[in-house]
Order: sequence, then structure tokens, then C-alpha cells
Amino acid sequence: MKSEELKNQEYKYGFTTEIENFKAPKGLSEETIKFISKIKKEPKWMLDWRLKAFNRLKVLKEPNWQKPKYPNIDYQDLYYYSAPKSMKDKPKSLDEVDPKLIETYNKLGIPLNEQKKLSGVAVDAVFDSVSVATTFKGELDKKGIIFCPISEAIQKYPELVKKYLGSVIPISDHYFATLNSAVFTDGSFVYIPPNTRCPMELSTYFRINASETGQFERTLIIADKGSYVSYLEGCTAPMRDENQLHAANVELVALDDAEIKYSTVQNWYPGDKDGVGGIYNFVTKRGACRGKNSKISWTQVETGSAITWKYPSCILQGDNSVGEFYSIAITNNHQKADTGTKMIHLGKNTKSKIISKGISAGKADNTYRGLVDIGAKALNSRNYTQCDSLLMGNKCGAHTIPYIKNKNSSSTVEHEATTSKINEDQLFYCNQRGLNQEEAVSLIVNGFCKEVLQQLPMEFAVEAQKLVSISLEGSVG
Amino acid sequence: MEELFNINLKKTSLFSKEDETLRKENLKLFLESGFPNKKDENWKFTDLNSIIKKNFKNISNDYNFNFEKNKIQLIDDFEHNSIILVNGLYKSSDTRFEDKEKIKIQSFKSIEDVNDNSNNNLYLLNKALSLGGFYLEIQENYKCKKPFMIYNYFTSNLDNKIINNSNKIKINQNSELTLLEYNIDEKNKFIKNTFENIEIKDNSVLKFFFIQKTKSKGYFYKNVVGTQGYNSSYQNFILSSGLLFNKIDQNISLTKENSNCFILSGLCLGKNEHQEIKTQINHLAPNCKSYQKIKNVLESDSNGVYQGKIFVKDIAQKTDAYQLSKALLLDDKSEFNAKPELEIYADDVKCSHGSTSGSIDADAIHYLMTRGIKLTEAKKLLITGFLNEIFDNIPEQKIKTFLEKTIKEQINGV
Repeated sequence: MKSEELKNQEYKYGFTTEIENFKAPKGLSEETIKFISKIKKEPKWMLDWRLKAFNRLKVLKEPNWQKPKYPNIDYQDLYYYSAPKSMKDKPKSLDEVDPKLIETYNKLGIPLNEQKKLSGVAVDAVFDSVSVATTFKGELDKKGIIFCPISEAIQKYPELVKKYLGSVIPISDHYFATLNSAVFTDGSFVYIPPNTRCPMELSTYFRINASETGQFERTLIIADKGSYVSYLEGCTAPMRDENQLHAANVELVALDDAEIKYSTVQNWYPGDKDGVGGIYNFVTKRGACRGKNSKISWTQVETGSAITWKYPSCILQGDNSVGEFYSIAITNNHQKADTGTKMIHLGKNTKSKIISKGISAGKADNTYRGLVDIGAKALNSRNYTQCDSLLMGNKCGAHTIPYIKNKNSSSTVEHEATTSKINEDQLFYCNQRGLNQEEAVSLIVNGFCKEVLQQLPMEFAVEAQKLVSISLEGSVG
Repeated sequence: MEELFNINLKKTSLFSKEDETLRKENLKLFLESGFPNKKDENWKFTDLNSIIKKNFKNISNDYNFNFEKNKIQLIDDFEHNSIILVNGLYKSSDTRFEDKEKIKIQSFKSIEDVNDNSNNNLYLLNKALSLGGFYLEIQENYKCKKPFMIYNYFTSNLDNKIINNSNKIKINQNSELTLLEYNIDEKNKFIKNTFENIEIKDNSVLKFFFIQKTKSKGYFYKNVVGTQGYNSSYQNFILSSGLLFNKIDQNISLTKENSNCFILSGLCLGKNEHQEIKTQINHLAPNCKSYQKIKNVLESDSNGVYQGKIFVKDIAQKTDAYQLSKALLLDDKSEFNAKPELEIYADDVKCSHGSTSGSIDADAIHYLMTRGIKLTEAKKLLITGFLNEIFDNIPEQKIKTFLEKTIKEQINGV
């Protein structure tokens, strides 16, 4: 086999040249982890850390309590590292890309150059060199903000990484988080120095090799005292990817008076109309409000993936800290989403707010699962939760599973949930004014989601609105 | 695990040989995993295993009792028929207000046919040790004239004992029954594990009250499985404060159109009390309604839990389902946990739930105090108002007054 030969060759040259065609040996083993670590030129402590996670993984079991069931994943049959595709393999121009995809791009109003980048068309060097990314980089450097791939940070800022990596999601947390700790390939690292307000929205899109972060992404964001950062992840355009399993870890740390706003728009390939294929998006996202008066706010728009399974959480340790979670989850056809949040109140006067909107159409299943836990010492804490579900048709399901724990008499917890269908009167009113059924539904759904859409940064908000309408196309009738 | 139990299967020897082998098997299965603990999703907030281990040793089913009828003090607040149960077993009944032909009360010996829940360990335990209970059936087209009171009496030699019983209630078509279950005990520390089956046929109504009036050291578990026919109604009121431990686990299926189900509870939990209400309402047919309102007042070191689930099948359009749980925490050592769950597969439905927990409204207290009411009185007044709300749906004035009196006594105990 040609690939066999290639592999031997790689070993012969000791990975020093041309990483372009490299693939890690298939399967999950110590060798794979050493391979990844070596290729990333990681120091020894990082490799030890990975191996520690790997040892832990051996005794952990895959969780099975979740609502969406999926076929067993053969972890020995996966590649855990493969280098970016070479120019040769990529489509030469947009003409070679799936026309359906292009149609969606046009609906979203994405510029031509971006379309090329998103669909993986080999972009010529000229376009890349004038990219906005480099200009932004200079501005960030001036403020002392670090924004780079995590593999770079491990080499350049080992102290920061050592201190915070795994401090919010411990390496032994749960199966997928541990798997990520053992084999993560890359991701973003952000550090905002004290009393600095990040002058722009940071986005993976602007990080140079962003599109090839792979299936085990690791993100670490640290906001030092009195700083502020807004981070955007993903993008509204549908993303194609060969990897079926995505198990990313995202850790946020907010120190005294700091604020982190993390927005996600997820639109991975959801599989076809019959539910074949599609990405499994099993992500662990957790933020720690470590300092006093700190704030972490999660906003997510989940429209893609065959299975979305994630609970962006906030650990409210510091007194007066605030956690927020705004979510829209749209499932259509055979998609399944089990998402929600955990708000763990430990400090005094901590506040949290959860707004979740689930929309289910076709044969999809949409679950909100959340935890609000007010500890005995979290005096005067407050939580407000609202989760609304909208159902279209009687082949889909909407579920709400909130866990509410209150151990404290001075704290207040409020939870509300409703499930309903689109109001006939509203539809009729829209129809009467000349909107067709699809437009009317999209208008009403956008209204239903408004509270969450408003939380998105400007760059995202407009596109996200369009995305909400597009996701439901074909579900009305 | 073994020292925790001292089970004597011979006590159940009134049954047949095959029965005995089945019992042995069930007991073995139960002993393998013991009482349920937190790892079981249904027991997430109530670690029964550790509660039992902390409070019991040498649990035995071996008890003999002498029953003296005068020990039971009948209630004279309203006229009623009575059924007397001693340690969970049927003793006697008095149906003086009713047409005797229409009512069938007898002891219930079958251990089969009751609530199959094979993944519930307590079910295995019940199957192994149950001595039966009562069977109550109301014939067709009969509306009972007076309420039935079940005097659930427990004798004085029950320390460290476990009672397992199973009951069945059947209401045939076009009938109506009001049933009150009233516990009386002799301050022993014991466990009761009950499985109950309720069948409500078309156009029938069952109003069922669970009442505990005095403080008790009982550790009670009750599993109710109910099925409802067309246009039937099940109305359940839970007033079981006073028990050290109580879990009521209800699974009600609305199998035909236009049926409705109400579960209302008002609990005022004192020191160290732990009570859980778990419900699952299955909407299996269109146009059904379910309504749950759970209210808890929690004093120091008490623990209130509500786990409610509404399931709506895809054909059950026009479902109207509502869940509300409210808790007043009076002390920092008290705890309230809730899991109001919705699982919905039909789109034309109105399903909602709400859950709140917090302390007494300081503004309301301030308002009352400015009107010359003392702090303790003001608190009592607000708590009474908070709990009394669940009685709004009771039309029988005398029962309502009786229940209000019961609640008041419980609050004054706080």
C-alpha cells in the first residue's frame, strides 16, 4: 500500500520536513499522543500532561445518560492527527464546490473571497497576505493581548498555559473532555492583560490556520483583572468537515472585575434529509468566574450537526459574579440536540440568567438540560431561567429537563418553561399581509428568538437571523 | 449490607410454594444492590440507601401484633365510611352510608399484577415480602354518598421493622369516590414500602387525599400506578408533613380522551424531614389535562424534592399540562431540589412549568408588621396563605375545613 510506504518514510526522516502529508498512526495509543506532541514540538510537561489524561481515559466509560443515542464510536479506527490538506487536494475554484453550498452562501450574503475560504478552495497567497488577520495582529500586540494558536502558546507562554490549562475542566472530568486533553491538536489561546479592553471581537476566523484546527480543538481564554474580551467562535456558513466526531474543550477564566463574552454560531454539516452522516458535536465548555465582580456570558446559536451535545457552564466562585447563558437550538430533519447549561453558585451575591429557545421541526429531537445549583454559602444569590420550545409538526420532540437545587434561604431561583406551536393567528395575520407561509414562519421564529439574537455581536447578528430562517426551510407545510 | 437486614421469608408463608421461590429470587435480587442511591436517576436527590443506613440496623419483617380497636381515634369532623388497616393489612370496614352491593372491600392477597417496575429495587423488595393489603372496588353507576376514610394504623412494636404491602383501587364506569388515607402511629421508627394500583374507568372520578396529622418516625415509600379512562378524573391531594421520610412516586396514564389529572401538595416540613414527590403523567390521548401544584415550606435541616415529568405522546394533541413547584426556605440549612421535566412529541399542546424557591417576601412581612402583627404571627399568616392555596379546588366544605385545620396545626408546630 502506498500509504504504508509513506508512513515508513515519515518515520525514516523523523518528521523534520514537509509536515503537509503527515498522518498520525491510526488508533488511540501512547504512540499517537507522543506523535502529536512531537509534531507540535511540545515541551515534556505538556506530553506528561497528555499522558496523564490518557491514563485516566483508560478507566473512564463513555457516558450514556443523554437523550440522543449514537452508534458506538470505534476510537481505534480514528486518525487523531492529520496535517492540513495540501493545495493539490483542495477544489481549484468555486465551480467544483457543491452548488447547494454556494446557494446558501449567497443567501447569507457572504463575500466571494470568504466563500472560497470557507469551502476550502485553495486560496492563493496574494489573497492571504493581504488578509485582515495580519493587520489586527499588530494592533493586539500593541495592547499586550496574546491571541495565538494554543500550540504556539505552549511554547511561548508556558507559565500561563501551565497555570490555567485544565484548571476549569480537569483532565479527569469526563470521557470526552479527557479524550480531548489527551489528543487535542490545536485551538485558540487568548490572554488579556489587566485593565485592558480588547479593541475588537476576536474570532477564530482571523487566526491564521483557523480552518484546520481539526476535531479535537482546545481553547483557553484568560481575562486578567479588570479586562474585557468578546470572542466569536464558528461561523454562520455551513462548514464541511471529514471528521465525524468533534470533541472540543473550551475553558474560560475571568479574574476580578473581568468580563468574557463568548459567542458561538455552530453550523456543521447536519447529515442529509434521512439523517445519514453529519457531525457529532460533543463539546465541553466551561467558564470560571474566579474573581470578584467577574462576568461570563455564553451565547450560542446551534443549527448544525447531526447531534449537538453540550452544556456551556459557569462556575460562579467570586462574590458578585455573574453568569449568563443565551441559546437558540434549531433542529430539523433527523437532527438531535441535547444542550443547556450549568450555573453553579458558590460565591455570595452571585447572579445567573438562562434564556434558552429550542425549535424543533421534521423528525428532530431537541432537549434543554440544565442545572442551577445554589450552594449553602452563596448568600443572596439569584437565578432566572426561561426555556421555551417551539414545535413544528408531531414527528419531532421537545424536552425540558432542568435540575434545580437550592440550599440557601436568602437566594431565589425562578424557572419557567413553555412548549407550544406557532400561533395560528399570527400566521394568518402575516399571510394576510402578503407574506407566504415560509416567510411568515421565519418572521415569527425570529421574533421568538429575538432575546438571544440581540445578545450576539453585530457581526454575527444579521447573519444569524438569516441562518435561523434558512435552517427551517422545507419544514413548513 | 447483610447486617442491615434480618429478613425472615417464613413470615410470608401464607402463600403457595411457587410463590415462595419467586419471593426468594426477588429478595436475592434486591439484596444484591440494596436500597436505591443517588446514582439512580429516580433517586438523584434522595439517597435512600444512606438515609436508611444512618437510621436503621437489623431491619426485620418479623413482627406479631395485637390490635386493640379502641386505639384508633376516629375523626368526627365529618360523616364518613371507614376502612381500617393495621400495619398495612386490611382489618375491617364500615360502609354504613352506602349501598353495600355497590362496594367491594376485601383484603388483597395477590402480589402479581401490581405496578410492574422491574428496575425499581423497592419493587423487588415489595414482591419478596408483601403480605397484601386492601382491595376496593366501586361498581358501575354509583356515586358514593360519603367519603371513605382509610385509617392506616401502625402498632407499637415496629421499631426497625419493615412493612411491605400492596393495594388496588378500582372505580368502574360512571362512579365517584372520595378517599382519605389517614396515618396513625405509635411513634416507632419503621419502614413502609407500598405499591398501589389505581384504575379509573370511563366517566369516573377519584379524589384521593394522603394525610399525616402528627409527627411520626416513619420512613414511607409509596408507588402509585394509575390508568384513567375516557372523561375520568383523578384528583390527588398530598398533605403528608410529619413523616421523617416520605417519597410518593406516582405514574398516571391518561389513556383516553378528555380525562384529567390533578396532583396538589402542600407540605410543611419540620426538622430533619425529607420528603419527595415524584410524578410522571403520561398523556397518551388527545384533549387531556394535567395540573400539578407542589408547595413546600422548609424548616431547618429539612429537605424537599419534587421530580415531575410530563410525557406527551405524538397523538395527544390539544394537551394542556401544567407543573408548578414553589418552595419557601425558612432556614439556611434547608434544601429544595426540583426537576420539572417535559418530554413532548405533539405540537398542538400547551405545556408549561414553573419552579421557584426562595425565602418569605420581606416586603410582605414588613407590611404586616406595620399593621401591628408580630413577626412570628406574620410569618405564620404568610405560610398559611401560601399552603392554603391548594385547597381552592375542594368543593366539600367540611373536608376543606378539616384539612385547613390539619395544616394549621402543622404550621403551629413549626
